[in-house]
Amino acid sequence: MTVKLINKDRFNVFLERLASGNELVAPIEEDGNIFYRRVTSVNEITLEADAFCFAPKGHFFPQYEVLYKYQQGSNALVLEEPGPAGPSVLLGVKPCDARALLSLDPVFDGNYKDAYYLDKRVKTTIIGLSCRKVRYNCFCRAFGFGPTSGEGADLFLTEVKDGYLAEALTSKGEALLKDYSDLFTETGVDGALQEKEQLAVQLDTQFKRKVDLDGVKARLDNMFEHPYWERLARKCLTCGICTFVCPTCHCFDIIDENGGGSNCGSRLRCWDACMFTDFTLHTSGHNPRPGKKERVRNRFMHKLKYHLDRYRVTGCVGCGRCIEKCPVNMDIIQVIAEIKEVG
Amino acid sequence: MKQIVDRLRQEAARLLAAGDVAMVIGYAKGTDVARTTPYFATNEEEAQNLTWNPFCTNNLVKYLLDFRFEDTKLAVVVKGCDSKGINRLIYDRQFPRERVVVLGVPCGGLLDRSKVLATIDPGAELQSVEDLGQEFVVRTDHGEFTFAKEQYLLPKCAVCRNPNPVISDVLLGEELPVAEEEKSDTFDDIVEMEALDPAAKSAFWDRHFNRCLRCYACRNVCPACNCRECAFEQAVPGWQQEACWLSKKASVDNNYTFHLIRMFDVTGRCIDCGECERVCPVNIPLRKLYRKVIKDVQELFGDTTPGLNIGDGLPLTSYRKEDPEEFM
Ligand code: SF4
Ligand code: SF4
Ligand code: SF4
Ligand code: SF4
Ligand code: SF4
Repeated sequence: MTVKLINKDRFNVFLERLASGNELVAPIEEDGNIFYRRVTSVNEITLEADAFCFAPKGHFFPQYEVLYKYQQGSNALVLEEPGPAGPSVLLGVKPCDARALLSLDPVFDGNYKDAYYLDKRVKTTIIGLSCRKVRYNCFCRAFGFGPTSGEGADLFLTEVKDGYLAEALTSKGEALLKDYSDLFTETGVDGALQEKEQLAVQLDTQFKRKVDLDGVKARLDNMFEHPYWERLARKCLTCGICTFVCPTCHCFDIIDENGGGSNCGSRLRCWDACMFTDFTLHTSGHNPRPGKKERVRNRFMHKLKYHLDRYRVTGCVGCGRCIEKCPVNMDIIQVIAEIKEVG
Repeated sequence: MKQIVDRLRQEAARLLAAGDVAMVIGYAKGTDVARTTPYFATNEEEAQNLTWNPFCTNNLVKYLLDFRFEDTKLAVVVKGCDSKGINRLIYDRQFPRERVVVLGVPCGGLLDRSKVLATIDPGAELQSVEDLGQEFVVRTDHGEFTFAKEQYLLPKCAVCRNPNPVISDVLLGEELPVAEEEKSDTFDDIVEMEALDPAAKSAFWDRHFNRCLRCYACRNVCPACNCRECAFEQAVPGWQQEACWLSKKASVDNNYTFHLIRMFDVTGRCIDCGECERVCPVNIPLRKLYRKVIKDVQELFGDTTPGLNIGDGLPLTSYRKEDPEEFM
């Protein structure tokens, strides 16, 4: 593993060059929201230490994407697939979001290989960044990693006094350091590594909310019919916020849209959420999750049990986004504690 | 505030103990200092968890619809703005008057959560809040904080004209005086938008609608959105999406369709409680849309904000001889 250092001035040059040679995707602010978007000018990039930022999952799994276009020709149906993705760099990815990709991978890269996700996944280099502040609802620590863990990133940065420490964690990361070797140096790496350790210790004291997952899965294994869900679900509005902001939620619906000429159209996939009334609605009219209780239960079961059952990785990474954005204060940290009380 | 909380718990416990209502829908302590959560008390003991403070933002009226096909009687806590939602549901025949006990709170305004959290540690324990008229004194285990209303109220509260519930069965505090000049809406925010040229308006809404996630939180929280089946969630298979009003594809053109349909649907019906804008996870200024139509309807038909009373006809669904018809 190569470890190097880059100073602040050179870091800006690094960004400039990344943006000119690749599709660079980084956090960009708009009307008080921070989204991962394609960078047109590096001045737009916000690597703010203490702001809510939407997850970057849309880079691999966009809110909507064309699977193929169709056209009824004179004697055959002509299908046209979208071209392959170009190489891209995702910059400033938080440890929880990098970890979340490791929870998404087995879904799209399991028995069924999802060409659309995998194409972008393979062609994207992920530059992670240590957090510089722990937000109130962060609880990544409960999942065995923390604000300075690079797992899931290719190159992992940590802001230090003199710039950024850069750790190459995969061959893609190594390649990046090699390509830009004129900007990175080895001098000062030891000091920077020590600084990173101190940062880790200091950030560890910033976690405010105590979360202990021990025994939660075992209780959920027997809680499907528990009256708790009915009570918990009452306040839920069954909107899509918690699932849309979640870095590991991955449900989609496939739709056809005619248009763009006669006898043609496209097949799209769009984000879906188990909170919606038409989610997995059967043609017969039967709905396996007819009400709030079933929907809310499904989300928490999926986050804390089903994903583990299926893939042996957690379906939640403790980013706290669903807590922060839920309009009724449905709080997964509180739910975890309550499961342990009632289960 | 303590008197209101005590009164609320007493009243809720009494209603539940006497079997007058099956449930009291109110607020309980939330998971950070500047938050409360909707709470459903079903017995006297649970009634003691109910609370009231300037963080009780949610409009709870919409929850009545979850029980619209049952026959139980429910009580619900409302602020001035929320209370108009009760009238909305009664007028729309979505919930019968006789099945709801309205617990009204004369409201001194809500504090802006993000501003408060810039001052108080979110993990602090809220002990009590006192409303001194011009300011709130918030006591926590991390100390005492004073928030001047002028600076810290939610924008909607700063210009509130109905702090006293317009419909209530039990008033949980003293009615608040409302100055004469505060009683009419000057729509400054809308006048400002109207002054923009069309290209600027279009750019404004393009930018905002482009990031709409179509999570439908704005619809789900809205008391005026009370259809059993929504135009935006038609139960048709994917290959028949064409038959729908709106495709699931959250592109800017579809998002326009969504927002403009919703805007027309709540025309003359939106009670301007501001919940849509509060719940939106991507800060779309939705009230600008709905307040524009409130203003238009007021100018055309002379109606005030819907929901002030149960009403005897909505401007767009009733016919009056004197209605303007210059476009005919
Ligand atoms: S838990 Fe919150 S964010 Fe999720 S659907 Fe319910 S109300 Fe919406
Ligand atoms: S469930 Fe909530 S806390 Fe967990 S990863 Fe998803 S958004 Fe983050
Ligand atoms: S929680 Fe719901 S929306 Fe999220 S992945 Fe699971 S089923 Fe899908
Ligand atoms: S708008 Fe008025 S009644 Fe509603 S919360 Fe604000 S001050 Fe209270
Ligand atoms: S709440 Fe906001 S993001 Fe969600 S559908 Fe409404 S406008 Fe769009």
